[in-house]
Amino acid sequence: MTKKDPSRAPLIAVAVFVIVAALGSVVWLLVGMLRGADARRVEVVQGGNVLYTYDLATASPQTVRIEAPDGGWNEFTIADGEIRMTAADCPDQTCVHMGPLRAENLPIVCLPHQLVIRFEDADT
Amino acid sequence: MRMTTRRLTELALLTAAALIIFVIELRMPDIAIPGVKLGLANIITVYAVFRYRPGETAMLVAARILLGALFSPNPSTLLYSASGAALCLVGMLTVRKAIPARYIWLCSMMGAILHNIGQMTAAVLLMRTTAVLSLLPVLLLSGCIAGLFTGLCAQMLVTRLYKKPPHDL
Ligand SMILES: [Zn+2]
Repeated sequence: MTKKDPSRAPLIAVAVFVIVAALGSVVWLLVGMLRGADARRVEVVQGGNVLYTYDLATASPQTVRIEAPDGGWNEFTIADGEIRMTAADCPDQTCVHMGPLRAENLPIVCLPHQLVIRFEDADT
Repeated sequence: MRMTTRRLTELALLTAAALIIFVIELRMPDIAIPGVKLGLANIITVYAVFRYRPGETAMLVAARILLGALFSPNPSTLLYSASGAALCLVGMLTVRKAIPARYIWLCSMMGAILHNIGQMTAAVLLMRTTAVLSLLPVLLLSGCIAGLFTGLCAQMLVTRLYKKPPHDL
């Protein structure tokens, strides 16, 4: 049952892949949490274009409506130094349920409308 | 190899079971993060990977995803789930012969991670921005947990459901 043979190599490769992915994402998350603590600059990105950038510390409270190319819309609100998706007509409503933007590694994403709200330069 | 009526019926039943699990999971409360879910229907996928031929498993998964999109409130996510499922399936089918039954959970974890990588690739291509990439570590971690859970379920099915040896693979 435990005899060594060459066919164990793929099993070990799978194990290494899983361990690297798990540890890698934990480290990535921890680094993001440490760096995200003082990140205040956010950007609103739609299909590769940065539509808006804000400094949450200074931005005045506002609600902005964005039309999606497919006819849908999203509405985000800045208030009390936080930004969140307040309304959308996407079928899943996940973006609205995500609440305020908290962490670099947890951008607010509306997949159907290809919209992302995140802290600036999260991947540089 | 010819497909017998018996095998076709088995596969149809498994597809139906996967679809039912998928629809039930749709009704469960969301973990409000895009792409994060338990993916319980993958129990059937992993089971099929270890019990059926690659072509049969691919047919089952394709049917489940296409039919599942009909029930989904958000059919536009079909492209994400199809890309994820394709990568996951290719990975698991590649290594399955080298995976002993007691390590099916490990194979399932790898599949879930590949699923999330496939989803993310589709999202980056479709949204034409790498902004969504910052979601990847959360997805990978949730994939590990979900893959472990569904893998353990599938492993129990594979090892306990039939005492007879698996079909000729
Ligand atoms: Zn949305």
